Amino acid sequence: MKIKEYKDEKTGESIFCAKHSSGLEIRVAPKQDYDSSYALFAVKYGSIDTYLGKEDGSYEKIPEGTAHFLEHKLFESEELDAFELFAKTGAQANAYTSFDLTAYLFKGSDKIETSLGYLLDFVQSPYFTAETVRKEQGIIGQEIRMYQDLPEWAVHLNLLKCLYRENPVRIDIAGTQDSIAQIDDKLLYSIYDTYYNPSNMILSFAGNVDPQAIFDQVSKAIKRKKKPVPARVFKPEPKGVLSDYIEQKLPVGQKTFLLGFKEELKKPEITIQEEMASSVMLEALFGKSTPFFKKLIDEGLAEMDFGGFMFNGFGYSVACIGGTADDPKKVAALVKEEIKKAKKNGLDKAAVDRAIKKMYGMSIGVYDSVASAANQQLYLYFNGYKPFAELETIRKLTYKQVNDRLSALIEKSSALSVIVPESQE
Amino acid sequence: MFVSNNAAPGVRVVNVATDKFKTDIIEISVAVPLDENAAANALLTALLTRTCKAYPDFTALNAKLDELYGASVDSYVSKTGDAQVLSFYARCLDDRFALDGERVREECVKLLLGMLFEPNVKNSSFGKEALATEKRLLINNIKAELDDKQTYALKKCTELMCSGEPYGRPACGTIEEVESVRMSDVYAAWKNILKTGLFHIVAVGNFDAGELSGIFAKKFEKIDREPCEINTVFLKKGLHFKRGVEQFPMKQGKLVFGFRTGMEAPGDNISAVRVAVDILGGGTYSKLFANVREKMSLAYYCSARLIESKGIMFVQSGIDTEKEKQVSTAIINQLDDLRNGKFDDETIAASKLALRERFTLSTPGMICNWYKSFILNDEIKTPEEVADGIDKVTKEDICEAAKKLSIDKIYMLEAVESEAETVED
Repeated sequence: MKIKEYKDEKTGESIFCAKHSSGLEIRVAPKQDYDSSYALFAVKYGSIDTYLGKEDGSYEKIPEGTAHFLEHKLFESEELDAFELFAKTGAQANAYTSFDLTAYLFKGSDKIETSLGYLLDFVQSPYFTAETVRKEQGIIGQEIRMYQDLPEWAVHLNLLKCLYRENPVRIDIAGTQDSIAQIDDKLLYSIYDTYYNPSNMILSFAGNVDPQAIFDQVSKAIKRKKKPVPARVFKPEPKGVLSDYIEQKLPVGQKTFLLGFKEELKKPEITIQEEMASSVMLEALFGKSTPFFKKLIDEGLAEMDFGGFMFNGFGYSVACIGGTADDPKKVAALVKEEIKKAKKNGLDKAAVDRAIKKMYGMSIGVYDSVASAANQQLYLYFNGYKPFAELETIRKLTYKQVNDRLSALIEKSSALSVIVPESQE
Repeated sequence: MFVSNNAAPGVRVVNVATDKFKTDIIEISVAVPLDENAAANALLTALLTRTCKAYPDFTALNAKLDELYGASVDSYVSKTGDAQVLSFYARCLDDRFALDGERVREECVKLLLGMLFEPNVKNSSFGKEALATEKRLLINNIKAELDDKQTYALKKCTELMCSGEPYGRPACGTIEEVESVRMSDVYAAWKNILKTGLFHIVAVGNFDAGELSGIFAKKFEKIDREPCEINTVFLKKGLHFKRGVEQFPMKQGKLVFGFRTGMEAPGDNISAVRVAVDILGGGTYSKLFANVREKMSLAYYCSARLIESKGIMFVQSGIDTEKEKQVSTAIINQLDDLRNGKFDDETIAASKLALRERFTLSTPGMICNWYKSFILNDEIKTPEEVADGIDKVTKEDICEAAKKLSIDKIYMLEAVESEAETVED
């Protein structure tokens, strides 16, 4: 196994990378003087993967929420559950499922080798039975309901439902009560066997360790052989939106909104440069140091939580602008007007320069914590980037690149999602 | 960690010198009694960080922060024991990573101090419009507390349980209190915190302790300090049991149990109390997780949390409304088992290890929060000292501490059917 060191001169950070014969990517960020270590074992399989690829090249539809369900169940084993193992080292173990990936992790400061052994072992040892699957349906059912009551989640998901007809990003990560009722142990094994192959996974580690020791331990522990994994299917979205406005009543105190501009994608994913340029563009247009922001506050139209962010992944890319507001339609109209103005006159050069500086500072801040440094590698690897690609991108980002991203904001492909207070019974 | 009390009476500087991080953080926390002035203090806190004498314009101030690589200089209000705590912080990229040799840290500290000591005040006024805006923003924030039902239920349980104590007040006052604040109240609040507030400053990063202490000595030179005294009320037992209830059109009910821990003063029997609370409802090895979630599948989360500064504990869970009795019984049964010593040595060991791990602070923000929590204590302890205290706790200590846990109040948010539908057009 050839180990390569990537070094970022300005921050002094190093990341060691290697490709195991099984296809597993291993990345280690040594963090001297840190008390804690953080490890992630992740698979490129998330809630947007709603199909099971078969050996004959065909695809079978699976219930919504399967990736997340599998995440919950992988913690169980025939003998000691993963949680019981980690209790012996004191490490905090957890997992999460996003639209694009599933990650298993621990944070620990003592007996790291033992904890890493547990992580590698439990993720590679599936154990599902009809009974344990049934038991989990109650727990996940409560998790689904908890999210349904959260306005920030509802406003986001409702927006995606308006923007996307094909892409499964429009469905809830955890699925629905009905969809998870269709999941059984056989399906979980099929998904596991198909997608949890080392060639579709990464082991990312950050902590005060000798990188070589991590590489040695991981490479010995990998059990499965390399096998091709069915590719994600990219179905281009039709232009336009299903609906340009959606409103839901919830028992909240304030109206909240999210305005989204769907990008017309020619290939499944935008590049890291396009993504960062878009984030800078949104900051230059709507950040706290813009006169636009001040106007909204002064005129009582928005709150301090007003702002924009990028939401993108495989087959989807949305520039989002949102916050709390009494009259979301009015704020949305002003936002669209501001975008039109920028398209006509170009973005304010000084605002773009400031936003780049701000993003540079934030990008470096990621390496402050073992958790964010390790998580950053998942994002980079699964999107085909080497370590520090984001720092190189932000350092080279130009005004033109940022300004060009205005073209991704298409009014006809935008929708407004609003949560309005429902009075108490 | 270095502590200096020399700057002025009631002014303490805690410096954690380290260069392992990419960012530096300094937080100035000011404790005052939590009373009818809470709303004026909260408005003051916001006004002080929105502009200052050096940057009277909000937009220009934020442009400056962007230039400083996206530094945050901001404030927030919280409660510690029966004190209201106003916190002002600066978080910035360390000078080593600045691209043009800027002195980021120095500039941020200057800005932060300017906000507190040289605000944007003319003729004892922060500006009529500025105050009106802050009132609107604060009132909207208070209304928005309804949005997250888990936090809202906890807040309502606290208010019900501590209704006769300062801690029962909301940290930023009520909507009515905010509305009735006059400009003279805000100005008086500013003078008052400088004269009587307990100043507790925590710095993490490349700060110099002596220099910081000197800076604050100079700032307080002309202020006639009379530091206030804050004596938090500790009730040994819950005496008048009550159940509060509210109904909302939502998917999941929220159950909160409020307990008195038997602590009679800050730090009283704290190590045993911490372990008892943790074994009841801390990590995945805890009784509530293992039984209410994993065995009975009644909840996605069911956990216990200790409010050390007030000697109270909450058990929180998201449940089906009709199962409240079943869940309550399960919680009480688990508590009884804890009191009767029905837990093994492995669980005690797991809890001690997990607590030590939780005290392993791995970011500047976590370190800052740790030392900030000692704002009302004479003695400041390192995470290792606290963890060592916990290691000495015996099974008998845990059972004794558990026996002193007494239920005071229950608060239930009942989920009822919503008649509202999602509207698209």
